[in-house]
Amino acid sequence: MLWRLLRTHISASQLIGFSLANLVGLTIVILAVQFYRDVQPVFDDEESFIRKDYLVITRNVTSAGAMMGGTSEFSDQDIADIEAQPWCRAVGRFTSSEFSINATVGLGNSGRAMRSQFFFESIPTDFIDVADAEWSFDPSHPEVPVIVSRDYLSLYNFGFAATQGLPRISEGQVGMIPLSFTFTGNGRNEVMPGRIVGFSNRLNTVIVPDEFMHWANDRYGEGNITRPLRLIIEVNSPGDVAIEDYMAQHHYDVAGDKMNSSKANYFLTVIVSIVIAVGVVISLLSFFVLMLSIYLLLQKNTRKLQDLLLLGYSPAQVARPYMLLVLAINAAVLVLAIVLMLLARLWYMPMLHAFGVSGASVVLAIAVGLVIMTLITAGNLLAIRRKVASLWLQ
Amino acid sequence: MEKIELNNTLPKVFAGRDALPSDVWQCDLTMERGQHYLIVAESGTGKSSLCAYLYGYRVDYSGTMRFDGRDIRSLSVVEWCQVRQRNIAYLPQELRLFPELTAMENVQLKNRLTSHKSEREILDWFDALGIPDKVNSPVAKLSIGQQQRVAIIRTLCQPADFILLDEPVSHLDETNNRIVANLVMAEATRMGASIIATSVGNHLQLNQSIVKSL
Repeated sequence: MLWRLLRTHISASQLIGFSLANLVGLTIVILAVQFYRDVQPVFDDEESFIRKDYLVITRNVTSAGAMMGGTSEFSDQDIADIEAQPWCRAVGRFTSSEFSINATVGLGNSGRAMRSQFFFESIPTDFIDVADAEWSFDPSHPEVPVIVSRDYLSLYNFGFAATQGLPRISEGQVGMIPLSFTFTGNGRNEVMPGRIVGFSNRLNTVIVPDEFMHWANDRYGEGNITRPLRLIIEVNSPGDVAIEDYMAQHHYDVAGDKMNSSKANYFLTVIVSIVIAVGVVISLLSFFVLMLSIYLLLQKNTRKLQDLLLLGYSPAQVARPYMLLVLAINAAVLVLAIVLMLLARLWYMPMLHAFGVSGASVVLAIAVGLVIMTLITAGNLLAIRRKVASLWLQ
Repeated sequence: MEKIELNNTLPKVFAGRDALPSDVWQCDLTMERGQHYLIVAESGTGKSSLCAYLYGYRVDYSGTMRFDGRDIRSLSVVEWCQVRQRNIAYLPQELRLFPELTAMENVQLKNRLTSHKSEREILDWFDALGIPDKVNSPVAKLSIGQQQRVAIIRTLCQPADFILLDEPVSHLDETNNRIVANLVMAEATRMGASIIATSVGNHLQLNQSIVKSL
């Protein structure tokens, strides 16, 4: 009976307007959150053994520079200058092998083998994140662990294996490939087994442990002192514009697409933030639409509400039907927004699968929706309570 | 609630007027449970204001009003709701019925809150007041006299120490006045309650009432 009395003057069109506006706003917010979380891994190609805040740089070799006798090495002064930059945490030098290497990849007992001239580089162990046991060298049981560019595996799988009728190799199987190296220099010619422990997109080279490199350069090298051709730099933020400026100014090249990826990631964050802000603004506006609608409703029903208070109904009892109305509408909007978000996700996920993304959990997006809706509802309920309480004195 | 006290009370709109010829305003007045009071007034002397103050929905007065010694300005909203459900039954002059509801729904809106009367008792009152055929009519379709009787029934659907009636019979004839007076007095006697009725002309025919002029 109370409800029959109080529902008069409820404007269906206003409530539908609010519900739609809030639905759009809330859906945009939670969809943006979910999309961001789903897409994030595409830009975040973490390599297990090199953290993402490392950059590998080389000196830009121009034909003009080469003719002028310019060097592609980094001098101690260059390195000191980089170390002095505010974005730089640490600099590691690549050490090159100073002897001749031949690599042999034999495939089981088929008798077929791939032989190639080879080279090694090493960087300080601090920059490598592979389990210690795998990333070490013991001259008494010589086996050389290497990290190679992922391009090499692609070259084998898509170039060599495909045309020679050899089986393709997955990254997981790589550790089982019989690999051996022949080192020649300083009057020695020795063969050692090797093992690939990882692949890198960023390092276009073959990396071996620093301790092996020093041992091998002592043993096979001619004692020449060379300066590094590449540096690995630990930075605060790979997307920092200051780094880019510095690299351009000094004609240094950054290997891989780490910086571009960081920039893309940065823009993704910016765009998603803007979209979320738009969604929040729409939600806020819809919140005010509902507030106005409720105020109007309460205003039109002022006399009735006051009469009910005179009968001995408490403000809470009188406000309850309106509160239940708001709760029902808001709950429905939240559920619908989540459904829409999940539907949209069903639509875009197949496209993301092409990038090898399996999708993030939807819990965070739903939690965000729940929090926003709880705040809006709390605001609505508080306003109703205050408005009804204000009718107490007539 | 045993007594209502007024100490030097005056509606703020009357402030500045001196020497009001009144038994209520700017006086010390105590109304006790069990006694009946007829407050006779001319139009515009503040009788509806007095009711509004005693029922807690207006506070624009100076002086003090007390329920059992407690200043009623200090009552909380929750306490006022209790007073309105258990201690003071109030019939507003403007009736304040809900025109879109039927007569019975209007009465039940109060009775459901207090669970004071059975439907049978309510129907008997409709009978006694001569409107048994209006039980299910929307109040908007009733004459003002009929509406007044519905409002009186609604007022009586609660336990009370004081029954505050603002011009309860202004639209009723002599016969109905008598019927209403008897019904209200019977109910008051049953609960040991006091009746406070105001009137500008057509007085509720109460027995043994203390007459005060505003």
